[in-house]
Amino acid sequence: LCINNNMASNGLSYDGCNFFRQRLVLSTLSGKHVKIKNIRSKDDNPGLRDFEASFVRLLDKVTNGSRIEINQTGTMLFYQPGLLYGGSVEHDCNLQRSIGYYLEALLMLAPFMKTPLKATLRGVTNDPTDPTVDLLKSTALPLMKRFGIDGEGFDLKVVKRGMAPGGGGEVVFTCPVCRTMRPVQLTDPGKIKRIRGVAYSVRVSPQMGNRIVESARGVLNQFLPDIYIYTDHMKGANSGKSPGFGLTLVAETLDGCFLSAEMSSTPQGQGDSVLPEDLGRNCAKLLLQEVYRGGCVDSSNQSLALLLMTLGQQDVSKVLLGPLSPYTIEFLRHIRDFFQVMFKIKVQKPSEDERKGGEKVLMTCVGVGYSNINKTVK
Amino acid sequence: MDGKVKKQKKHQQKHSGPKAEKKKLRKHDKPTEEDDRRRNPKAFAVQSAVRMAKTFHRAQDIKTRKHHIPLVDRMPLEPPPVVIVVVGPPKVGKSTLIRCLIKNFTRQKLGDICGPVTIVSGKKRRLTFVECNNDINTMIDLAKVADLVLMLIDASFGFEMETFEFLNICQVHGFPRVMGVLTHLDSFKNNKTLRKTKKNLKHRFWTEVYQGAKLFYLSGMLYGEYQTQEVKNLGRFISVMKFRPLVWQTSHPYVLVDRLEDLTNPEKVRMDPRCDRTVSLYGYLRGAHLKNKSQLHIPGVGDFQVSDVNFLPDPCPLPDAQKKRALNEKERLLYAPMAGVGGLVYDKDAVYIDLPASHSRQQQEEVRPTTELVQSVIDTHTTLDAKMAASKVSLFTGSATLDPSDLNEQNREPGLQEEHIWDPNSQRERRKVVFPGEEENVKVRAESETMAEGAPPSKIQKLEEVKSCGQSVAELPAFADSNDELEKSEEEDEGEDESEEENEVGRAEDSGHCSEEEEEESADEEVNTDGESEEDEEQGALRWKEDLQQKAAEAFLRQQEAAPNLSKVVYGSVVEAVDSDEEDEELGGLFRVSRPHKSKRLQTNSVDCSRFPPDSSLNWNLEEILDSIRDCFVTGKWEEGQDAATLLKQDDELYGDFEDMETGEVHKSQTAGQQEEEEENGESDEGEEIQVRMEDEEVQKNKRLEKKRRLKERFNAEYDDGDATYFDDLKEEMQKQAELNRAEFEEMDDETRVQYEGFRPGMYVRVEILSLPCEFVANFDPHYPIILGGLGSSEGNIGYLQLRLKKHRWYDRILKTRDPLIFSLGWRRFQTIPLYHIEDHNGRHRLLKYTPQHMHCGASIWGPITPQGSGFLALQSVAGTKAHFRIAATGVVLDLDKSVTIVKKLKLIGYPYKIFKNTSFIKGMFNTVLEVAKFEGASIRTVSGIRGQIKKALSTPPGSYRATFEDRLLMSDIVFLRSWYPVTIPQLYNPVTSLLRSVGQKDNWSGMRTVGQLKHDLGIRNKPNTDSLYKPIARAKRRFNPLHIPKELQKALPFKSKPKFQQPKGKMPRDLRRPCVIREPQEKKVAALLHALGTVHHYKKKKTTTVQHAKHKEFLQQKEKQEEAKLKRQKEAKKKLYRLMGQMDKKKLKSSLKGAPKDD
Repeated sequence: LCINNNMASNGLSYDGCNFFRQRLVLSTLSGKHVKIKNIRSKDDNPGLRDFEASFVRLLDKVTNGSRIEINQTGTMLFYQPGLLYGGSVEHDCNLQRSIGYYLEALLMLAPFMKTPLKATLRGVTNDPTDPTVDLLKSTALPLMKRFGIDGEGFDLKVVKRGMAPGGGGEVVFTCPVCRTMRPVQLTDPGKIKRIRGVAYSVRVSPQMGNRIVESARGVLNQFLPDIYIYTDHMKGANSGKSPGFGLTLVAETLDGCFLSAEMSSTPQGQGDSVLPEDLGRNCAKLLLQEVYRGGCVDSSNQSLALLLMTLGQQDVSKVLLGPLSPYTIEFLRHIRDFFQVMFKIKVQKPSEDERKGGEKVLMTCVGVGYSNINKTVK
Repeated sequence: MDGKVKKQKKHQQKHSGPKAEKKKLRKHDKPTEEDDRRRNPKAFAVQSAVRMAKTFHRAQDIKTRKHHIPLVDRMPLEPPPVVIVVVGPPKVGKSTLIRCLIKNFTRQKLGDICGPVTIVSGKKRRLTFVECNNDINTMIDLAKVADLVLMLIDASFGFEMETFEFLNICQVHGFPRVMGVLTHLDSFKNNKTLRKTKKNLKHRFWTEVYQGAKLFYLSGMLYGEYQTQEVKNLGRFISVMKFRPLVWQTSHPYVLVDRLEDLTNPEKVRMDPRCDRTVSLYGYLRGAHLKNKSQLHIPGVGDFQVSDVNFLPDPCPLPDAQKKRALNEKERLLYAPMAGVGGLVYDKDAVYIDLPASHSRQQQEEVRPTTELVQSVIDTHTTLDAKMAASKVSLFTGSATLDPSDLNEQNREPGLQEEHIWDPNSQRERRKVVFPGEEENVKVRAESETMAEGAPPSKIQKLEEVKSCGQSVAELPAFADSNDELEKSEEEDEGEDESEEENEVGRAEDSGHCSEEEEEESADEEVNTDGESEEDEEQGALRWKEDLQQKAAEAFLRQQEAAPNLSKVVYGSVVEAVDSDEEDEELGGLFRVSRPHKSKRLQTNSVDCSRFPPDSSLNWNLEEILDSIRDCFVTGKWEEGQDAATLLKQDDELYGDFEDMETGEVHKSQTAGQQEEEEENGESDEGEEIQVRMEDEEVQKNKRLEKKRRLKERFNAEYDDGDATYFDDLKEEMQKQAELNRAEFEEMDDETRVQYEGFRPGMYVRVEILSLPCEFVANFDPHYPIILGGLGSSEGNIGYLQLRLKKHRWYDRILKTRDPLIFSLGWRRFQTIPLYHIEDHNGRHRLLKYTPQHMHCGASIWGPITPQGSGFLALQSVAGTKAHFRIAATGVVLDLDKSVTIVKKLKLIGYPYKIFKNTSFIKGMFNTVLEVAKFEGASIRTVSGIRGQIKKALSTPPGSYRATFEDRLLMSDIVFLRSWYPVTIPQLYNPVTSLLRSVGQKDNWSGMRTVGQLKHDLGIRNKPNTDSLYKPIARAKRRFNPLHIPKELQKALPFKSKPKFQQPKGKMPRDLRRPCVIREPQEKKVAALLHALGTVHHYKKKKTTTVQHAKHKEFLQQKEKQEEAKLKRQKEAKKKLYRLMGQMDKKKLKSSLKGAPKDD
């Protein structure tokens, strides 16, 4: 009775299931409750999909005291966030989306838990739609280290690899807790000094990996001699349930920024199969595309970087990005909704004689002074 | 004085003679420490390594103890006024002191001190004085916002409870600066007692604050004011004082409200006087950045969301930076709207003039009515705007009256200017708001447009409209809620903009397909007619296949360049999915055909994926495309400043030329030499290229400067970083961050800047809040401060809190679990029900009935989420004043969820109903089999201490079970099971709404009562448990069963131990009974005689035996004597004998000793 009278209501309401994860994650971090209406209400198959339900369940596992209400048809969801608890979490991710879908959200939440997170996620590790586990491992983790999230047990380990559609992969993600974020000034990415990569293959001939490496090197050698692509062939119990192969490439700059690209074979029984040579070549071109876009953060981690900037101290943070992806643009709007933070967006056009790819965007913001309220003080 | 200053004799130094020699000698070999060491090395030798280590450690300790954790300095360039809270018990002279200080700084007199008074005290400092009354609510609120506390103490009385309470409140919520001020010192007649009292008070004050805390003495009053010189000194102290940043204050935005306007529609108030109010509150923003739409807490009222924030021109601005020492009369400003001072006050869209203030020249001595503003607020029947429009004011006697419109014209914001642009398409004039920086390019555009069309006639518009127009300026990124503003502007333009935008969008979309020329043409499309562009298209149609790839790439690039302002894309045009406006077909007027809107569904329900789909326009097989990213790799070209070759060259420049000191040879670097040569050459033919040389000189100068800078940097690096500690590095990092913070948004105008970083501290803001309770306005009292405390993210939520709590050592009672308590935590004051607990050695949190007397304990409450580490204090009541100390407990927040379960002890009791050897059947402890099943294996105990275990449930009676014990139970034993029962924390959160109470009742807030108070108030007495009552003890006599010894055992026992069976004398059978003898008289006589004789005989016998006994005794005594004598004799004889024997032995020994040497 008193609660309703004296606490101002601060909820937000959205339509549709797009950007589902962003909304729930930001709601959890900001403590504002959120209501999502009209989830596929006009669809033949209305309501939340299994993978979204699985995501909500994962969120429920890592939080303590959150209230989730879903109506009968699943077209409306109400989420009142609790406190992030963390600890040891095991989750069987739905096979419709890969583990990357779940992991992206966990990466945003993990530093703000009460106890260090140790999440074991099972499901599809690599599929063409979402950023794969390998990509997140090689780009998101070093990015988070720049924000001061570091320490013992900050790790993402691929225990088993499972390709779409069968899955059967397993990933262990551990993250220490953090009290505050450090403001960053990532304005100069520096020059790329080396390119590394992983060519993985499961339940196919181990030769596939070598063929991918060969073709990818062919493209990248025009720019840099320091290229090393590991082949990762998993066998037996570690190889999941479906055959497939793929490549993840990461370019590291002198200033410790990481740009990445990846490509994986089409899932078994869904469309035409790809030749490993083509895949290697195309993936290398994707990396070049990413280099062309440039910035200090690669395109799939833009939102993570922006979130960590927002949650920083009340200091100015700057980060140079490539062109903003639609997902990031929506994320920026959501950040404004949840944290009232607007970014100063300055487009840097490339000069005439410079050969450094396309235009970049310099994002500047003042952090909200967020501190991890879940961590226990002794 | 008269120009001829008397010259004094100059000192003449000796150049010869013994004194000069001595001096020379001393100068030559100055005895340094080095010398001392060389001369007497032993004195400087290491005597003890341990001692040396100790001294070193001590030195380091002292050094590091001075360090504070470096914080980023977030103080804005123009800081908000310093909040000075004047506290003290009533009648100690608070108002007088404030009045004196204000008079000291501004030369103005203020009557009643209502609300905060802001003044300009110096070139860089403003002060806000707030008087704190004796209410503990006010004390708590003001302690949270104070920068400096002037603590007034009545020296004639000594310390009062309020002083200590306030100090304790400060201690809990971060200690602001505290300065004590002793007043009433003139009441001491005796100088010695005065000195003594001062000293005593000072030392007591020091123990509370810190050793050496400043205590100021105001010796006496003159005409109702403190002495001018003393007030001046106090003012100087205040104006140079430095303040430490407090954690809570720097991490939260807050406003000490100094003005309040009720914006509610008066009609609505008339209809329903108790309706919720819309109120705008004004004040300087302090602490951190405030964001629009963020959450606020108003202590004493509740939580609210900011509906709108604006910044207003500073009512009390700092003087412009000029080189002069003192402020002039104009700059000594005073601003206190609640006290009715301030003259002109500005609002977002109105200007208020305080009429009495403008007449004050004529009636200076008149004390202004204090409640005027309040009265005006309460008695509002028409809106202020309407009033303003109706009223006419003449500023000077005899001058023309001023219209409100004129006033508006004069007082609009300085940065905003109007420009009229003729729009050819809509055939009307559009007014564009221009900010000074943009003026030029807009003018250019305006000119180009006026070239196309004839210049329109200019008109003068009202400012209100300009404002609404100003928000639609394209360069402004939209505000948090301003997506509708864009729409507004579009509506205004009657679809004109839309068509333009469509043009642009269309262009951007098909630019990939059309040819280059067409693209160029399309830029001028507005000028060209349609026919022309068609012609072009025909021309281009033939060549379109050439260089398709390259064109596509270029087109893409151009598209990228032509992209509209990115921040507008992100924040400006939020696509809103509105379902209501769908075109639905109706079937028979009843049913609607629902067709999913394809595009809309894509937006709202498409796949949620963070991947950025690759751009297909770039073909990475082409060489030039590949070339476009060459420089991203280390193998590519490097920038000027980073290229290894140029860096080497620069180093050469720096270190190339040097002079060899020994040989005097001068080495010069190649480049430097060349330059000099060039310069010489230049001088030779100087007549030709003066211009070029000028430029050259410029370049040279720059180069020199650069060189100097680099050298300095290197020097600094060498000498500073040599012993730079971690602390120094950290400090430098913070310094850099602070500079960046200041520099980043410096060049922006405030309007834009506010959107990015929020409203920065130091701004004078107007905060609009909807739906405040009507009592807030109706019962407004300026003597009670209104504070807007900003809340961080998720601090607006409510949940469980774990606290560490300690009863205050000065509080005279211990606190009881579940008694409601009033907490002051964060900004809030609220009542809640705490549970106290303590952690056992095994980590269990056991509920306590009462807080420990002198120990910390845990407390769990249901309350607002507040960051860990925030301090709190607790009170039992805030109503009225009490004689004793009111702060019941203090502590700190540890944790914010229910991660520990508090348990209380529960004993379940059962009784044995069947006892076998060590096994018993127990009943009465549980009710069902299921309950028993849950406790299988649990350990149980009897009162007598026999331990056991629950084994298995029995079917009947329900809830009984079999248990085994380490010994056999008795039926009289009671069995119990010790268990722990989790306790739920009661969910009561009751904010103290003291500000809503009527005037004069504000310090009487009382919330939920304790059970004890309730019983006391209602006169209820509990019936005590009958078991607890004292009764006379009636003990039943204990009867023991006879001892039973088995027969076999009996047989084996010796007779002595055998049980003796004294048969109870039952009735003898008749045949065994002796018959009764009845004597004849004769026989009777005989028997009587015999009996008499017998008695005589017995008597005689007895007599003789006694005599005999006596004789025998005597005999024995005699015998004993003889014996004794005999023994004595014998002893004597023995003694003699032994003595003889001893003597003989001695002799023998002696002779043997004597004889021995002889033998040798």
